[in-house]
Parts: sequence; structure tokens; C-alpha cells
Amino acid sequence: MMWCRPLAVVALAIIGMASIPPVPPAPDVDALLRHLDDLYRSKSSIARIEIQVINPRTTRSLRLKAWTRGEEHSLIVIEAPPREAGTATLRVEDNLWNYLPRIARTIRVPPSAMLGSWMGTDFTNDDLVHESSMRRDFASRVDRRSDAPAGWWLRLDVKPDIVGRWARIDVLVSDDDLPVEERFYDRKGRLARTMTFDEVRPLGGRRMPVHLTLVPADVDGQRTEMRYLEAQFDVALPEDTFSLSRLEQNR
Amino acid sequence: MVSTRYAVRSVGRNVRRTILSVVGIGVGCALAVFMESMNRGRDELFARAAASSGIGHVRVVPRGWRERRDVRARLADWQHDRDVARSTPGVASTTIRSRTQALVAMGTHVVPVELVGVDPATEPSTFRFVREITHGRYLRPGEHGTVVLGQSIADRLRAGLDDDILATAVGPRGSIESAMLRVVGIVATGSEDADLAVCQVAIEDVTKLTGLKGAGEVVVMAGDWRAADAIRDALTQRLTGGDEAMTWGELAPEFKGHNEQDKAAARFVRAIILLIVLLGVASAQLAAVLERRREFAVLSALGMRAGTMVVLVLQEAAALGLAGAVVALAIALPVVWQFARTGLDLRSAYGSSNFTFSGAFMEPVFYGDFGVWIVPWVVALAVGATMLASLYPAWFAARTDPAVALRVAQ
Amino acid sequence: MTTLRIAWRNLWRNPRRTALALAAIGLSVGLVLAYDAMLRAVGDWMVETITGPLLGHVQVHAADWRKDRAMDRTLRRAGALCDAIARDPDVGSVTARVYAPALAALSDEGFAVMVIGVDRARETGAARLLAPDAPAIEGKRVLMGRALAETMNAHAGATIAIVGQGADGSLANDLYTVAGLIETPMDLVNRQGVIMALGEAQALFSMDDEAHEIVIHARDAARVDAVAARLAALPILEGADVLDWKRLQPEMVSMLGVVEMAWLLILVLVFVAAAAGVANTMLMATFERTREFGMLLALGLRPTRIVAMIVAESVALGAVGAAAGAALGIALVAATHDSGVDFATLTGQGTSAISAMGIRWSLRMYPSLAAVDLVGAVGAVVMTSMLASAWPALRVGRLQPARALRS
Repeated sequence: MMWCRPLAVVALAIIGMASIPPVPPAPDVDALLRHLDDLYRSKSSIARIEIQVINPRTTRSLRLKAWTRGEEHSLIVIEAPPREAGTATLRVEDNLWNYLPRIARTIRVPPSAMLGSWMGTDFTNDDLVHESSMRRDFASRVDRRSDAPAGWWLRLDVKPDIVGRWARIDVLVSDDDLPVEERFYDRKGRLARTMTFDEVRPLGGRRMPVHLTLVPADVDGQRTEMRYLEAQFDVALPEDTFSLSRLEQNR
Repeated sequence: MVSTRYAVRSVGRNVRRTILSVVGIGVGCALAVFMESMNRGRDELFARAAASSGIGHVRVVPRGWRERRDVRARLADWQHDRDVARSTPGVASTTIRSRTQALVAMGTHVVPVELVGVDPATEPSTFRFVREITHGRYLRPGEHGTVVLGQSIADRLRAGLDDDILATAVGPRGSIESAMLRVVGIVATGSEDADLAVCQVAIEDVTKLTGLKGAGEVVVMAGDWRAADAIRDALTQRLTGGDEAMTWGELAPEFKGHNEQDKAAARFVRAIILLIVLLGVASAQLAAVLERRREFAVLSALGMRAGTMVVLVLQEAAALGLAGAVVALAIALPVVWQFARTGLDLRSAYGSSNFTFSGAFMEPVFYGDFGVWIVPWVVALAVGATMLASLYPAWFAARTDPAVALRVAQ
Repeated sequence: MTTLRIAWRNLWRNPRRTALALAAIGLSVGLVLAYDAMLRAVGDWMVETITGPLLGHVQVHAADWRKDRAMDRTLRRAGALCDAIARDPDVGSVTARVYAPALAALSDEGFAVMVIGVDRARETGAARLLAPDAPAIEGKRVLMGRALAETMNAHAGATIAIVGQGADGSLANDLYTVAGLIETPMDLVNRQGVIMALGEAQALFSMDDEAHEIVIHARDAARVDAVAARLAALPILEGADVLDWKRLQPEMVSMLGVVEMAWLLILVLVFVAAAAGVANTMLMATFERTREFGMLLALGLRPTRIVAMIVAESVALGAVGAAAGAALGIALVAATHDSGVDFATLTGQGTSAISAMGIRWSLRMYPSLAAVDLVGAVGAVVMTSMLASAWPALRVGRLQPARALRS
């Protein structure tokens, strides 16, 4: 295996870590985090996603199609199960609407109802709406090397005065600069949940893990899984994609 | 008048009988007034339960809150309202609050709460549960970014003292806003529901989160709970901008309803008490008169008219009643006064660690009522009862056939 | 025994005095019992007002449901659970409920509501959630809390959409007609409540024979603790939370506790007052017979015999009077126990219910008596009359016949 010792020494000197085995060059953490922050983002996108919510009592599967533009606009239409097919959710800035095909009605969701978990999953509202950025809100450094899978563990500690749930996030990044695992620690330093990424595949012109699993730490038998079936990024979307009239049309 | 002189002398003639009568009337009336004091004291219980549960005696609320009960509504001019409240006679203390629905979170644990922004300096006077903080301390005036939680909330969050929790609420224009809050105090009320109602922060923290300026309510505690209606009326005249004043009875109809039910029963009890006293006095009086048949017979034989005899008996009765009233007041006044002042601490009656009073909105102390009403009430009862009780005996005495009466061997 | 016979005859030698004493004692006992009966009625009444509409006496939930009210923490086989509970002899009624947070919309504006699925037949009644004259809630017809309707600008006859999450996580949504508006003592129901038929709620939220809460009313409110303990031990309820109302709402318990104590204190005083009245009567009567006793002494009767006679008389008086009073009390309670006493008309208030803030508080109370009340009242009165005549009786011993005869 090729390695460049002088570069490693410099990197180690900068990062201040001791590591003996042959290692690839230590990552530029800042650039790495920027890459991670942007991995699933784009100016606009169309994607088909499968979600499974599993808890000890029930298992629920959904397949949906999602259009997004920037951070403020999104349209999600449920494709499966058939009972809920056609149900759509439109978000424009701080407004949220639901379209229910069974009763042919559009309902605006009051802001107070948006505070809870998203669609009954383990994802919280912050995950989807809040613009938290690992790069911006956390002080980061390389923690240690991981051999299997090959990659680096990054340690992120929340900066003071940042509003958020997590005091610390441990991120395992593969040598391909793709996330493998993220461990979230609450403000008391306890492990609260773990997100794992796998099934790396080409998606919409990028190469990324398409399967995400979110497991809360202290609840048995509960997890949420998300799988990207297909996606297009930075795609041109018609102007009226994120409108109420579009919401109510059949696609 | 002959009858009066006779009455006076007959009192002296049989001192023991007189004393017995007077003492009997006195004790009976003392008991009755003590019972009435307790009857009235129960009214205070309901007002106190409502008031110290955080409702207050009177509350100034925004226009439309009466029907909608929207916690995010704010007063038109809260400073003016508070000044008006403070300057109203009969007001003991005031405090302000503003509320919003929010979620508090630690890690993946989330609890929906009603976040209450308070003024830490004046809040404890209106909300019993924050007077004694189980762990930690209460909020300090001027402090921001801190929170006092109910134990149930802390448990569900798996949070403790000095932990930072995330509060999320709907901000101005419908956006979602968040803030960090440090837990400085935890309150264990003993009741899960009551615990969930305790989530207090400085009022400025709620303003910052929601963008809603000012206070949503001005809570008024009266020196005397009975003045609540008068204070509300006084406030209503001086409030502006559509802000309204409501009494505890309107704010918590369930307490008021219980109070009304209790009052109805109390009226019945009053009747029973009066009947018992009347009965006791009547039978004693009748017994006394029955034993004096010979005496009345002699008087009749001597030419005293029936009407005069009736007046005689009634005058005796009035005198006895008055004396009895004095005795009753002597016994009752100090007792009722003490009872009204210190009350009966039921914790010792039930056992201080008794589960019955955990999660209680109010101190389990029962105060009697003490007021100007006592003196006229006792006098009216004593004199009235004795005279009423003597009507039949008076009529009986007047009807005595002297010949028959004198013949009967005693 | 001769003493007793003489005592009895003595009593009737002076029928008026005896009748008076009997009346005094009898009425005193009667009044004490009336108070007792009312005390019990008031206690039941307050409990009923608190537990009647929403709370019930005992509630059953799935473990941990009360923590976060999660839609999927349901009681399974709710029908079988209710049947098993209903078999307990102390259980008066059992019913299941569904609680589902949802959005309701008249036009496109959504409002946060709580859909409560109830069994209409079992939840209709005087002190229950639904008033007897409330519109029916079968099928797609629902009732709305009055404050909620005002917020939403909805009226009877309007069509609303209800959207929520089913117990299996799926999206639940359907259209419903507002059959009417209701007002209850429960703030939650008025401000956020949409009342739906239980079966309809179960269908809407994918809850097949499931429920969130089972509400139980006991036949006798005093036996709630025992009922709760017995139900908790049922094998079919294993793993479920079974709680009595006092544990569910300790805040109310404290207020009731203090009020009850106040009533009990008054009971003690009522007792004392009645006893004092009886004592006064007996004292007066006995003292007035000094002449008679003097005569008896002069005739050669030993003082101890006289004392025995007096005591026997007073015991007889006390017993007979108390018995009469007890009969009176029992008769009154028997007459009113089932139909209740309307306190409004009795105390001149006019309406048989109070309407405070649009909520109706019943003023009908149901008196009842327990054996302990009777034994207590009768016993106390007999003791009192005996003791009351003891003092003058003891004096008899020291009487000088000549002086007594002259009084």
C-alpha cells in the first residue's frame, strides 16, 4: 500500500494525534464535513424513497416520490401502500399542506402540529427543517483510525451557544469520503441514536450510500430505515411544482 | 309591669333552674355558631384551591380568551393592566405570565408541554408548587435561559439538574424556533398531571421564542378571597383595549360548581343545626314550664289573666335567651377567632406523609370564618330560639285550669 | 326488674313530660341521622361530579400509555377485557374509549383536536360524558366541543375532515358531519374534543377490537379501592395499568379530603349539640321532680332505690326515644334514597341544577345511612340521657326530705 510518510507526519503534527500503523493521509476535516453536509443536498431534486418504520408492535412501509427545491420547498407524494397512495404533503417556507385523495380535501397543517416527529418516524423536525450543519455548529477533529471498515472516526463537539439536541456526534467516514456511521450524543453525553449508511451506489450522478438506518439508543426493537430507489439532483423543475393546485392534481 | 317583676323574681327564686337553662342555651348556641363558622369556612376552601393552583383570585385576560382559551393570545396593554391591578384596593399581590405550546427535548426524548413565562419575583405568591422546589432552586429575577420542570417531565426526558434541554415552539410568522434551556430546578408535586403543568421560564424567554410581545395574563391575588367579584368589577372599569377580568369562579368552573353544590348542602345543614338548637332549648323550656304548673295555677287562681301569663313566660324566655347569648359569645368568640386565625391543620389529622394530600393544590388547612356576623347571629338565635320554644309552654301555662292543677299531686 | 317496671310506670304517670322528653330525644336522633345521611350523600355527590363525566372510578390502560399517549399503545381484545371486568359484582358499568390526536378542518384550515371514540349507550347519563338529550353519534355523525366549534367557526350540520395517524401508523382520514355541539365540565373536551362513536373511531384509526382506555364505574363509590385491586389481579388484565381515580387525580383528592374533614367536624358538633339538648331536657325534668323525690324519701324509699329508678327511667326514655328517632331517620332515607332529594327546591333555590358557565351541576343528592351511623347515634343518645340524669340522681342521696318537700 502506498503511503506518503512526510504528508502523514505533517497531518499528524497538525492534528496532534499519534498513530503507528500505516494510514492513508488524514482527512481535511473541514472539507470533509462540507462534503457530508452537501451529500444529500442539492439546489433541486426528484427522488423515489422507501421508508420503513419498525417498532416492537408494528412495521410500516411507505414508498414515496419527493420533489425539493432549496431548503424551503418540498412536495412529497405517497405511492405505496395502495391505501395511502396519492396522499401528498406540500411544504412552502413555513407552511405545510396535506392533500388527502380519499376525501379529496386539502388541509393546512397548523404550525403547532409541525413540532412533533415527522410522519411517525424516528426523524425529528430538526432533521428535516432545521438547518443544522455539522461543519458550522460543531468543532471537529479526527479522533482515530478505523480499520474495518477502513476510514476515520471524526469527533464533533457542539460549539457553545449553538441551539440543538446534540452535544457530540461521532462520525465514521470511509476512505471514499462517504459516511458509514454517525453516533449522536445528547446534552448529557449519553448515546441517543445511531445512524448507519450502507449500500453505496451511483445515484443521480453521485456515489453515495442509499440505505440509511436510524436506531434510537434506549428503545428496544425500534428503528427507521430509508432507502433511495432513484434520484436526480440539480434538475430543472417547473415553476408550479410547489403549488396547491399541483398538489391536488393526479399525477 | 307585674309580669316583669314576677319574671325577675322567679329567676332568683330557682337559681339552679335558671342557670341550667342559661347554660343550656349558651352551650347550644355556641356550638351552633361554631358549626356555622365552619360552614362558611368551606367556601374559602374552594376559592383557595382554585387560587393557589395558579389561577389566582382574579385574572386579566386578552379579548376573546374567555371563549377560545388560546394560550398564545396576549394582552393589549399588559403594563397598564398590571398597574391598574396593583392600585386596586383589596389586591394583595400580582404577577404576569405568558404561555405557549412547546416541545422540550433531550436527545430523542420529547415531551409536549405548555411553556410558561413568569416573573420569578412574584410567581411563588400565586402558584403553590413553586414555593418549595424539590431539587435545585427556583428561577432568579433577571435570569434567562433557565427552566424549572415538573418531575414527570424530567423523568420522561431522562434529564436532571444542570442539563440543557432543547425547547421548540412556533415563532413569529409560523416559523419553528428553538432555544436551549438549563434545568435549574425540579418540582415533584406528587401528581403526574400537576407535574406536567410545571415548565417555567423567564417571561423574556417565551417572548424571544415566540415573537409574541408582552404578557398573556395578569394574575391577581386578593387579600380576602370574598373580594374577588368586587376586584373584578373595579378592574373591568379601568382596563383598556378589550382586556377583560375574570374571577376564579369563571376561570375554573369545576371549582365553582363544587362550591355551589357545597353551598346548597350547607343551607340544609344550617337548617338542621338550627332545628337541633331549637329542639334542645324547647324541650328544656317546656320541661321547666311543665314542672311549674302548680305555680301557674296559683297565679291564675290569684287572678292573673291568661294574656299576662303568656307575656310573663315570654319575658322570662327573652331574658334567659339574652343571658344565654352572652354565655354563648363568651365561649364561642375566642374559639372561633382562634380557629379562623390558625385553622385546623389536617396533615396531623391524616398523618403528614399521607398520600391524600400529595399533589394538592392547597395546604390541607381548614379555616373557620370569623366576622361581624357572629354577634347578631348568636343573639338572634338565642333569644329567638328561647322565645319560640316558649310559645307552647306559654300557651299551656295560660290554659291551666287552676282547680285541676292544684289538685294534682306532684 | 321491679325497678324497671316501676320506672316504666313512673314515666307514664306524667305523660306530658314523658312525651316531651321522648319527642326531644327522638327528634334529636332523627336530626343527627338526617345529617349523617346527608353527609354521605354530599360525599358521594362530589365524587360523582369528579368521576362521573370523564374520569370514572377506575381506569385501565396499556402499560406506559399514560406517559406519551402513543396511538399504538393499545389494549388488545378490548371486548373480552370489558366482558371480564363486567363480571365483577361490584362493577356498575364498563366502557372502552379511543383517544386520537388529529387535525380537523372545516375548509382548508386545520385545527389540532382530540378525537374521543365512546360507546354512546354507556356514556350517556345524568353525571356522564353525554347528556341524555345530546344528539346521536352513530356512523359519521360526531359531536364537537363548543369552544372548539367557535374557534373553527363550525355549526351543527357542517362537514369536517378529520386526519390523524392510525394505531398501525397509517394515515387515517375521513369526512364527518357535526351532529351537535356539547359542553361538559371537562375543559379538554370543550376546547379540543370531537366525540365519535367507538366503532367508527376504531375503524378510522385501524384499531380492530382495540382501545386506549377502559373506564369503570363501581356500584358503590366507597369500595373503589377494593374493586381496583381485584381487577388488577385479573389474569386477562396482566400487564395493563389499573388505577383508581384518586391516583389519577390526586389534586382533587386533596380538596375533597379537606371538605370531608370539615363536614365530619360538624358532625361531631351536631352530635354534641343533640346530646346537650337531650342532657338539658333530662336535667331539667329530673331537677323539677325534687319534691317528688322528697316525698318518696319521706315515705321510706332508700336513696339507692331512687337513684336506680331514675337511671332506669332515663335509660328507658333514651332507648325508646332513640329507637323512635332511628325509625324516623331510616324512614326518611328509605323514602329518598332511590329518587334522591332535590336540594334546590328544598333550600328554595328554584332550579334543580346550577348552570355555571354553561355547565350543569346537578343538585340532586341521594341520602344513605350505614349501620355505624345508627349505632353511633342511638348509643350516644342513650349514654347521654343516662349521664344527664346521673347528677340530679346522685343528689337525691343527700336530700333532706323535709326541705325537698317544701321546694
